[in-house]
Amino acid sequence: MTAEYIDIVDTQARKKALKVFREKFQKLIDQIMKGKPPVLLLPKRTLQNTIYDETRKLLLLGPEKLKRSFLDLHEAKKFMQTLLMTRIIYEALARDEYPTIRDLYYRGKHTIIFRDEKGKRHEENTWDEQRESDAVIRDIEVLTGLLREEMLILSKEKGKVVGNMRIRSGGDVIDLSRMGHGAYSIESTPDLIEFLDVDAEFVLVVEKDAVFQQLHRIGFWRKYKAILITSAGQPDRATRRFVRRLNEELGLPVYILTDADPYGWYIYSVFKIGSITLSYESERLATPAARFLGVSMSDIFGAKGKKPYLTEAERRNFIIKAKDADIKRAKELLAYKWFQTPKWKTEIDIFLKKKAKLEIEALAGKGLRFLAFKYIPEKIETGDWIE
Amino acid sequence: MPQRAAVKETFKSMSPSRFFYEYKELAGFSNPARALYQTVRELVENALDATDVHGIKPDIVVVIRRFGEARDKYTVAVLDNGIGIDPKHVPYAFAQVLYSSKYKLRQSRGRFGLGVKMAVLYAQMTTGEPVEVYTSPLGSKRIYYFKLKIDIEKNKPIVLGKGSWSKTNDWHGTLVKITIRGDWQRAGWRIKEYIKRTAIVTPYARIVLITPDGSIAIYPRVIEKVPPGPKEAKPHPHGVDIEMLKYLIKNSKAKTLREFLIESFQGVGRKTADKFLKEAGFDPNLDPHKLNDKMLEKLAAKLKEYKGFRSPSASALSPLGEEVIEAGLKAIFSPEFVTVVTRKPKAYEGHPFIVEVGIAYGGEIPPSSEPILLRYANKIPLLYDEKSDVAWKVVDPNNFDWKQYLVTFPAPLVVLTHICSTKIPYKGVGKESIADVSEIEHELKNAVREAARKLRAYILEKKREQETRRRLITFLKYMPEITRSLAVIAGDGKVSEEQLKEKLVECIVRKLGVPKEHVVKMISSYEVKIEE
Repeated sequence: MTAEYIDIVDTQARKKALKVFREKFQKLIDQIMKGKPPVLLLPKRTLQNTIYDETRKLLLLGPEKLKRSFLDLHEAKKFMQTLLMTRIIYEALARDEYPTIRDLYYRGKHTIIFRDEKGKRHEENTWDEQRESDAVIRDIEVLTGLLREEMLILSKEKGKVVGNMRIRSGGDVIDLSRMGHGAYSIESTPDLIEFLDVDAEFVLVVEKDAVFQQLHRIGFWRKYKAILITSAGQPDRATRRFVRRLNEELGLPVYILTDADPYGWYIYSVFKIGSITLSYESERLATPAARFLGVSMSDIFGAKGKKPYLTEAERRNFIIKAKDADIKRAKELLAYKWFQTPKWKTEIDIFLKKKAKLEIEALAGKGLRFLAFKYIPEKIETGDWIE
Repeated sequence: MPQRAAVKETFKSMSPSRFFYEYKELAGFSNPARALYQTVRELVENALDATDVHGIKPDIVVVIRRFGEARDKYTVAVLDNGIGIDPKHVPYAFAQVLYSSKYKLRQSRGRFGLGVKMAVLYAQMTTGEPVEVYTSPLGSKRIYYFKLKIDIEKNKPIVLGKGSWSKTNDWHGTLVKITIRGDWQRAGWRIKEYIKRTAIVTPYARIVLITPDGSIAIYPRVIEKVPPGPKEAKPHPHGVDIEMLKYLIKNSKAKTLREFLIESFQGVGRKTADKFLKEAGFDPNLDPHKLNDKMLEKLAAKLKEYKGFRSPSASALSPLGEEVIEAGLKAIFSPEFVTVVTRKPKAYEGHPFIVEVGIAYGGEIPPSSEPILLRYANKIPLLYDEKSDVAWKVVDPNNFDWKQYLVTFPAPLVVLTHICSTKIPYKGVGKESIADVSEIEHELKNAVREAARKLRAYILEKKREQETRRRLITFLKYMPEITRSLAVIAGDGKVSEEQLKEKLVECIVRKLGVPKEHVVKMISSYEVKIEE
């Protein structure tokens, strides 16, 4: 890769990350040169150390720190792995490379061979599975306070976006309203995107890629001045960060449309609060103001003062019987603080009572126009969402 | 011979030869397998008694081979470099039952004067072959040859042939050949094991075993020092019975009881003799030869009861000693740890005894689910009836808390027990296991505990060392990866890998509390390679 093709935004991100690495690890070098045993202090990435911040409505890492000491027999290998991964990422940054987490796994995977004083040969791999190297990457993220995107580490692109909006990425200006039947893939490093101009009133995130395509082709986003996004299932980090930026930097309200089941609710939860296992990233990835637009249980069954969107006959045809796993998941969600609002309790109660779920496709089955021009706009207009 | 006279009284109605001929299983000749084992044992023990007891480094060759074409007949030949036998005594020593130079109060391997003659009797019964003896006494210029049988009814030797010729070399010692019906198939492993166990407690001996299956086992001499042999001692009053009392009186020229006691017993002086006789109600001036049976019975009982005698002397005992046990266990098992405990002399029923225990651990000892127990009594290995022996009772993991000493089974553990005494309390005539005598059990227990404590200290230290070594290896093996990463991040040679390594080594040294030279030496012998 020659320098002239590289975007200045990338270069600046690299410089920033390299500086953080040098500062952090200079401390370790200083420790060693002073004759102190090297110790890394990093926030604990455990469920116990995950805190729900009620005012900011975010899952955050707690104050507990983990001491990773090289001279602790049980920590020595992890310590070595952390330093090894740090070097690989550091070198990739310095060489203008864009490794994926899989690349990093392969680059660091090698065999340490040593012969003891009796001449016996021992072999040990630095790591064996990607699970191990991925965990080390997460440790480095919390240790440096840099997300992997900020270290220019790529992952598979999953999220897509269309809308009346122009952005700059890699030095190119891209018009998100001129994507034809296709859409713009949300890149692995959404922080390197520059928002140029926008003409939109809200953001609609759809769980299902198929529903996204249908809404795109029928011209939903043009008609309602929306930025239309799909996460295609569980959202990746890039999509979450992109949605967060739209909300935070452009002040656009975010509505989320998922299946009416506990898995759909959890996708919403990840967008809004953050992932439980990866709470350290929430601060940069979560969108606390995101709203759950539907499909809600009351849309299906109706509620006090609300007529259901489905007739008795439609319900019979569209709803699916909930599985044991769904029930179990719903009960787990009830334990989370952010699902303990009255509206969510009602939602989950109806679900547990009716033991029924519904896919968004079922609403499209009632008629795409119903979904695009009646259901969604009406719910937004009447404020029929859950926060 | 005075001994003969005494013994003859005991077996009035039947010739001793006839008696043992009828009851051969009493002496361990119950079947061809056992007989073969017993014959080897008797000859080897005689060979040792002719050497180490007299300060000679034993050089013993044992050859067992088939006799002619028969599959069940074997010739056992044992050659030693001992003091030899006076040719005058040879016929009696081999062909007259209960003729023995060992019928004295001293610790020795054989006791009844029975063993080798039983083998000769058994040979006569099963193959009809006479015993052949070649011997050259120490200092003699000739070698003497005898071919003997026993006249069973008269208990007298029959000399079938004899000869002598002058020596062309300086050999002295004895070679005995006995041909018996045997069962090598069944006895073989036990004979091999017997020789091995003998070698363990005679590391100053060179022993060669050549077997009918063509194998040759050579146990080389591993130490040069022969332990001092046992001395003879007068009997202790507590250890005397009526028969022995009669025998002692008969052999005594004492005119009074007082004199007799002082002369014939250990640790009895004028004062003790008078005090005892007064308390027992005997006239000190009585002629002992005039005592009737009733009075003898009373005297024997009083001697046993009286508390005022000094403890029995241990001077007649010959323990193996620390050096011998250690050398023997090391040579045979190649263990990583050996410890030996020799207890102070104690006594039971007037018989002095010493308990010795050796523990070998680790190394090439195969781990097993219970201790490998090597029992010895007066330097003789005991192979049969292990589980009924008092030594097993003591070391049995069901009774002895080995875990407390950091030994968890399966473990590579050998326990050697040696009991030496002027009288070993065997269970039965087979002389293969020792009875539960509480004094002996107590001493054994204390000795095993004492040795096990030393083993515990060793295991503890070893564990600590292993742990340190494990940590050291871990740190050293990961160090290159760490210093390399830090050197890269520091950039442009600001700090070199070597500098970082040096500092880290200092840290490791401080953390592990090991000498720096040790770590540096380990690093220099280490090779860490990173394959990418």
